[in-house]
Amino acid sequence: MAAPVMKTVRGWSDLALGVRSAVLRLPGLSQVRWSRYSPEYRDPQIDKEYYRKPLAEQTEEQKFELELRKTQLIKAAPATKTGSVFEDPLISKFTNMMMKGGNKVLARSLMTKTLEAVKRKQFEKYHAASPEERAAIERNPYTIFHQALKNCEPVIGLVPILKGGHFYQVPVPLSDRRRRFMAMKWMITECREKKPRRMLMPEKLSQELLEAFHNQGPVIRRKHDMHKMAEANRALAHYRWW
Amino acid sequence: MLKGMRRLISKVHKAKHEEQHEGQHYSLPLQDMKTIFPHGLPPRFVMQMKTFNEACLMVRKPALELLHHLKNTNFDHPAVRYVLYGEKGTGKTLSLCHIIHFCAKQDWLILHIPDGHLWVKNCQDLLQSTYNKQRFDQPLEASVWLKNFKTANERFLSQIKIQEKYVWNKRESVEKGSLLGEVVEQGITRVRNATDAVGIVLKELKRQSSLGIFRLLVAVDGVNALWGRTTLKREDKSPIAPEELALIYNLRKMVKNDWHGGAIVLTLSQTGSLFKPRRACLPQELLGKEGFDALDPFIPILVSNYNPKEFESCIQYYLENSWLQHEKAHTEEGKKELLFLSNANPGQLERLCAYL
Repeated sequence: MAAPVMKTVRGWSDLALGVRSAVLRLPGLSQVRWSRYSPEYRDPQIDKEYYRKPLAEQTEEQKFELELRKTQLIKAAPATKTGSVFEDPLISKFTNMMMKGGNKVLARSLMTKTLEAVKRKQFEKYHAASPEERAAIERNPYTIFHQALKNCEPVIGLVPILKGGHFYQVPVPLSDRRRRFMAMKWMITECREKKPRRMLMPEKLSQELLEAFHNQGPVIRRKHDMHKMAEANRALAHYRWW
Repeated sequence: MLKGMRRLISKVHKAKHEEQHEGQHYSLPLQDMKTIFPHGLPPRFVMQMKTFNEACLMVRKPALELLHHLKNTNFDHPAVRYVLYGEKGTGKTLSLCHIIHFCAKQDWLILHIPDGHLWVKNCQDLLQSTYNKQRFDQPLEASVWLKNFKTANERFLSQIKIQEKYVWNKRESVEKGSLLGEVVEQGITRVRNATDAVGIVLKELKRQSSLGIFRLLVAVDGVNALWGRTTLKREDKSPIAPEELALIYNLRKMVKNDWHGGAIVLTLSQTGSLFKPRRACLPQELLGKEGFDALDPFIPILVSNYNPKEFESCIQYYLENSWLQHEKAHTEEGKKELLFLSNANPGQLERLCAYL
């Protein structure tokens, strides 16, 4: 008789600690994006420099942080975050957005080929240019990538708001994260849809990135269209309540 | 030790390369590259040449060893066979190109087959040979090779005379004593007879190199294709063995060491090979029993990954050309990471540095 009772008890304790229970955290708010970690879990610190700092150089806060991390629960680091010196979070995010069907190998190879293509094109321009112009030509594919995406970010966005049975496009300020996402999304859709049949993605992407770096090209035009629409719908700004 | 590593920018005269130059780069004039290498350079190296506007090779131990042997060859003894083997991406093809450049500068006649595997797969048109009914002709591959052979060896074509009469068909023939250049022209213009033209060229060169007018270097990349299997099929879908292809048959005769007055340098390659496992890199595995017996005896030369000195030299070369643009690549951490990621494999390192 005791055995079945003990089994159920053991069954409960086998559940991993820190798993969120089915109970809602706050009444009235349902969770759309949630993780299996409960709130006391802290994010992992990937940066090697943080751990290499000798004890003498650390401030009181940092010493306290280090001590605290020894006792607190820490989430597992995702497989994509490496301790590599060459890692770039923006590049990783862009690669993930380009990925289809979980084929990260293909997405990563396309990304590396794009960076290589950008570099080679810039080197060609460098060698063809006169010594005065050479200083102005940027050859680092990473700075070109970052600058191009920054140039593509819209300042203001449009949101459909339902009022009186109709949807109105209302101009709205965007968060940093949303702007970065929109720039990357526009870049990827542009390269996927508007390219000639036999042209490969790295070639098209490198072309678009270089054009965006110089503030030209279809993605920048789309950003300007978005700004113009927002300017045109200025009067509807009052429909926003946040 | 590593701070003193500099690029050696010496134009030509590989004859002066000695042990002390190991690990350093030397640049080749681009004009030479166009004449000596119309085919045969690895495609990534060609891209690098185009990007940097210069062609730089690193002087490495296997090439130095081969150069030493070549400088001391006795031209009265039968031709010695050297086989470059190693893992993928270690630099076998580039070492072969180094040797070819050296011999071209010493005025040897270069017989360079860029990739043996190209002749045993993906052939669009196979004709039954006119010379021998059992064999097959490959007009396209033969004519392309003849064009490149002509570019590489222009001046020899007007000096060598053939010693036999060859009849192409009822109306055309080539007389005894006419120039080799004529045979090559015939092969390029009449694509049907291209394979036979190649066969004639090989036969004549083998015969005449023993006379001592010129020195012959036979350089074949991917020689394991000659003794493997082919993916070509007859009309009735039965597979074709390599010896039934006229080009392969003639090339096998060339690689035998029954002539003197030159040397034979061969490279094994798993990358283009057919029906061979990916990990195979040793001569016995790639050549098979038949190939190994045919090539026996030969001098095997292992081409391995970079040693620390060569690795550092390679990184310095990239840094001097500003190829490594990433800020972190200049640091010690970055270099350690590159070493780890590439395992000092030259091919992998080149691919890594391409996007950094």
